[in-house]
Amino acid sequence: MSDKHKKQTAVKLSGLYGDYLVMLVAPLVLAVYQYGARALAVVASGIAGAVVTDIIFCLLLGRPFLLRDLSNVFTGAAMALMMPAGVPLYVPVAASFFAVGIVRIPFGGSLRSPFVPGAAGFAFASVCFKEQIFDYSYNSASKLMGEHSLGYILSQGKSVHLDAINVLDILSGNVAGPMGAGCALLMVACCAVLLLKRKNSLLTVAGFVAVCAVYAVIFPRVNASAFTSVFLELSSGALLFAAVFFLTDYASVPDGAVAKLICGGICGLFCMLMRTMGTYEETVCFAVLLANGFTPVINSGIGAIRNRFGKKEAAQ
Amino acid sequence: MNKTPSFKDIFLKNAVIFNPVLIQLAGLCPVVAASTSLKSSAMLSAVAFAELIAVSVIASALLKKLPRWVRVPLYFVIGLALICPALWYVETQTLTVLSMSMKIFIPLIAINSVVAVHCEQFAVKNDVKTAFFSSAAAGIGASLVFVTAGALREIIGSSSIGGIELNLPVAFKGMTLPFGCLILLGFMSAVLKTFIGKKYPEYFGVHSSVAAKPGDELPEKEDIPAQQPDEASLPAEEKIPDSVSEEDIKIKTEEEIEEFFKSLGLDFEEKGDEG
Repeated sequence: MSDKHKKQTAVKLSGLYGDYLVMLVAPLVLAVYQYGARALAVVASGIAGAVVTDIIFCLLLGRPFLLRDLSNVFTGAAMALMMPAGVPLYVPVAASFFAVGIVRIPFGGSLRSPFVPGAAGFAFASVCFKEQIFDYSYNSASKLMGEHSLGYILSQGKSVHLDAINVLDILSGNVAGPMGAGCALLMVACCAVLLLKRKNSLLTVAGFVAVCAVYAVIFPRVNASAFTSVFLELSSGALLFAAVFFLTDYASVPDGAVAKLICGGICGLFCMLMRTMGTYEETVCFAVLLANGFTPVINSGIGAIRNRFGKKEAAQ
Repeated sequence: MNKTPSFKDIFLKNAVIFNPVLIQLAGLCPVVAASTSLKSSAMLSAVAFAELIAVSVIASALLKKLPRWVRVPLYFVIGLALICPALWYVETQTLTVLSMSMKIFIPLIAINSVVAVHCEQFAVKNDVKTAFFSSAAAGIGASLVFVTAGALREIIGSSSIGGIELNLPVAFKGMTLPFGCLILLGFMSAVLKTFIGKKYPEYFGVHSSVAAKPGDELPEKEDIPAQQPDEASLPAEEKIPDSVSEEDIKIKTEEEIEEFFKSLGLDFEEKGDEG
């Protein structure tokens, strides 16, 4: 690749991940407000783990290290914000090492990796450190429902009425859960930023949220109204966070509006199926990885359909 | 005149350059499912090694004349017929209690694809002595991968080796799961291919020289210039024709195929299953 292309790529990458990092500032501020300096320490260890891993692999492979593409910083910060504030600091470091060293670099970089590195890192941490990742007891005395997260409430399948709980607490993220991913209002604001910057990528989020909502209406996990079920499912865990930051990834999402909608829908279906039938409280990252696997199939399928209809139109 | 390959050549090709697990990607299921610790992977290695040699020798001695569709199922039947009684004997006579997981996966080893691939590619095309050495080499190559994967998975995933606690600060439980083994095998395969590409470039040199460097970032789609071969730089006889019609590439009869091969300087012979 020529120097010109390298320069263009670096500039575009920095712009791409710079936008994401700006969007991550708001969840980080909220996490620091709710959990104090501990939240900063977790995010810093995630970022440090990602950057150090990249430096080590660059030295091993004899490549120049480019911090300015910011993808490592984004990956480390996003993964850390999906974890609880009380998680041991080696967990975000290990997740970042996996995301950058196993998923991003071997596949050729941020714009080539077929899987979202952040989602892969969080999934790895969920498998290896299940107890630590889903322990939301840190600083949970002032939270709604104490140390019980919304995901836990949903998994119990009890009766829930919105009158009995404070909806604003849930919307503002004052519930035990991932430290930076619980505030639904912030995620809506991030969607607004994406609408201005990269509106096409929001189609994946739309497909994802729509399928999750429909699934929650048809198969509610709690004994409640359809609206309550949808509200709780969408607000629980890091569902919206992962949709906004991982499902809009540049490299692993298919091209075209219809393809993006289908990809989001597949991800939503997998996410809800695993929430209903799986053993993990947070499954959205596994669903994102599975949907990434479908991206080439969706691209080729839609391409084949277009070619067929194009030929028919040309024949007519 | 056919030159008999030396043992070094046989070992190098079967154990390293065409390693059954890392290069030919055969026998992945038993490796992934059962090599979770050093002990279990050592046991699986021993079983696979013995079975591979026995079936290869039998295939080379007795099965050459049979058609392929009969041979392949026979490899599995012979493997099962050898392993199941042997395991029963070991378990009853030596009072060794195999764990349930091993009981499940050892029959899996008996029908693993390493045996079928090696017998079909090598054993039935060579004499018994060569088949013995080649299967031993392939068995050593596969066993080394089994044991290495099992040891690494136990160290990283369980923080122990051979049942002895290492007391590492962190254990990654994911490495004991199948996905951890697949990732590990992927890295081991990459390392081996890099080694072969540097040491024996005649085998993988073409691929390694053509492949893009991993450090290159992908440019934006619109930035990629359409790469057309520079026709002026090509010699006259290598210039690419403007278009190739369907008639040019359509070959209708066997005689035409034969003529085509003759034009390429190759012999066209019907070799059947032996080929």
